Amino acid sequence: MEITSPSSAALPSTYTLSSPKNHGAITLGRNISLAKGRVHEIQGDSAESLALTIANDVSGPIIWCGMGRQLGALCPWAIQPFIDPARLLLIEGVSRAEVLWAGEQALHIGGAACVIIELSLGPNLTESRRLQLACEENGAIGILLINGRTQSSAAETRWQCDALPDAPLTWKWRCLKNRKGDLRTWRAEWQRKINGSYTVHLATAVTT
Amino acid sequence: MARILSIWLPQLPLDRLIRRNDPRIGGPFAVVREIKNAARLSHLNSQALKAGLAPGMSIPDARAICPDLLTDPEDPLRDAALLRALWRWADILSPRIALDAPDGLLLDIKGCAHLFGGEQNMANHALGRLADMQISARIGIADTKGGARALARYGDKEICAAPPGQMHDALKHLPIAALDLEASIVAELAISGLKTIGQLYEIRNGELARRFGLALTQALDTSTGHAPDPITPAAADPVYAARMSLPDPIGYLSDIEGVLERLATSICERLQREQKGARRFRLIVRCVDTGDHTLSVGFAKPCFEVGPILQQFARPLSALKMEFGADWFRLLAEITEPVRIRQSQFGETRETEEQLARTMATLGNRIGFDHIRRFASYDSHLPEHAFLQTLAHGPEQPERWQAAARARPIRLYQPPEYLRILEPGRPPKKFEWRGASYDNKRSQGPERLTSEWWRARPEHVRDYWQMQTTSGLRLWLLTFPGKSPPEWFVAGRFA
Repeated sequence: MEITSPSSAALPSTYTLSSPKNHGAITLGRNISLAKGRVHEIQGDSAESLALTIANDVSGPIIWCGMGRQLGALCPWAIQPFIDPARLLLIEGVSRAEVLWAGEQALHIGGAACVIIELSLGPNLTESRRLQLACEENGAIGILLINGRTQSSAAETRWQCDALPDAPLTWKWRCLKNRKGDLRTWRAEWQRKINGSYTVHLATAVTT
Repeated sequence: MARILSIWLPQLPLDRLIRRNDPRIGGPFAVVREIKNAARLSHLNSQALKAGLAPGMSIPDARAICPDLLTDPEDPLRDAALLRALWRWADILSPRIALDAPDGLLLDIKGCAHLFGGEQNMANHALGRLADMQISARIGIADTKGGARALARYGDKEICAAPPGQMHDALKHLPIAALDLEASIVAELAISGLKTIGQLYEIRNGELARRFGLALTQALDTSTGHAPDPITPAAADPVYAARMSLPDPIGYLSDIEGVLERLATSICERLQREQKGARRFRLIVRCVDTGDHTLSVGFAKPCFEVGPILQQFARPLSALKMEFGADWFRLLAEITEPVRIRQSQFGETRETEEQLARTMATLGNRIGFDHIRRFASYDSHLPEHAFLQTLAHGPEQPERWQAAARARPIRLYQPPEYLRILEPGRPPKKFEWRGASYDNKRSQGPERLTSEWWRARPEHVRDYWQMQTTSGLRLWLLTFPGKSPPEWFVAGRFA
């Protein structure tokens, strides 16, 4: 993974203040650090790009909870460059509450290192706190894909992901909220390697 | 020389109803089966026979003769279940038992009869036990399978035993129908004046075969013991079930869970001993006031441990409403599969696997196992047919995903969404979709896909374009070439 670090000082590594356990962090490139055992919110038109990049970084099965309409539109051939679609377990809920419940149970019981929960309305403080507590138990990383309005929540970070128009397969990942770190913007790019898989190339940080 | 005991259960469907204390059995009663597109009587009780009815009558005829006749359609599934239960029961007589569907059992009793004090005593014992279960039976004992069957069905006594080595004499007076031949052969023999098996002995085998076919001589040879016809013993597939009835009803959740734990323990011990696991458990709770309640839980992988069973039943049990309690419980393991009980590994893999199975079971029991799915690839060039969602619950099917041949959008809209063209072009230079307008910055295409040629009704040829809009959104546009004015759709969105 290639990365050019930003000119400013390196991000502080994740540290624990209030939470009982530190489960380590996922590092994308050299300086995007996403704590495991925490809930992260992702919004924007290209939210799946960051979610799948994170999923690419963990091993084992990945659970994707959502409503039937959202899961039905998901195309595994687009997921295939990021992760093996056979690793994906789809959980379909019939209501927002059921999707949240399924996500919480999946995080609580464990078995998947990454649980992606797709919602059209972001979780409120109570809901996100519940998810956060479930996350902490097993150290799984919880990802909330929000394709609608967000609310103030207890999530660790919140990201805005948009595609960049100047080149194909490039995105702007903007950190809107970070409880233990800086707010920055990254420019991410997929590069095809020789063996056919993609790797993320996080280039110069764009300062907002 | 083998010794075969054949048990014939001539009134099995009626016995099943008698065992259930069906009040209709008191008067003339018959079980009805559809034969040659008409509902006809197949099994009759003694009152019905006394009234002058006979098997094979159609219902209108029977009603004309006996207006009080009550009937019930046959239930082959329940009858088969009763027969299988008797199959398991017959284990007390001999270990080598074969099912003789639909209404009989065949037992190889060589070396067993002396345990009961001789063949006659053994048969008496069996009939006594069956009578205790309110099941009427007839027994034939002979050296051969065919002989025993023939004696049970056409013998003159309830227990008809042929002395060893004398099959010829024992079968002499029986009708030819006892040989279990096709009806057409029996009818043909009857036309020729041949009625009993004894008459066949006098004719040369070659002539019989030429005139009536090899099936007849073969049946004759196997029945009289000239050709071998061994029985193939098979154990009835085991039923993993346990039940408990209590003298007084119980109603507290903790008490019921205690009962469930005991039932589960006894089933799981058997499952573990036989290295099996069950994918579904069914608990029947008989409440004293509201009758039976069936609760069932499923598992993502075969389960043979008490803990997960209790855990998965906790929710349905707590949702069960009972006022006066329940006094009868039955737990049944269904869909059993062999499991390889492995030594628990050190590493985390096994733990994660178990956790995932638990997650799937918990989610599946609440939201339904059909809501837990996986992707499976499918060989098609049409984007919406190139994959399937299959049930994740089931035996593992390792799926190989090859690298995607073409870029496909992460979201595939089904059906494609219509877009309003603001500035035409190929693809449109400016358009409106989902209430926002977009400008074409760069586009790539067309990727032309024709419908699958083997389809009877081919669809339109499609052109797909990858488009980069100035706002950053990457869309997959669809048009059908040759249409005027051209219509454009958004088929998907790239990540």
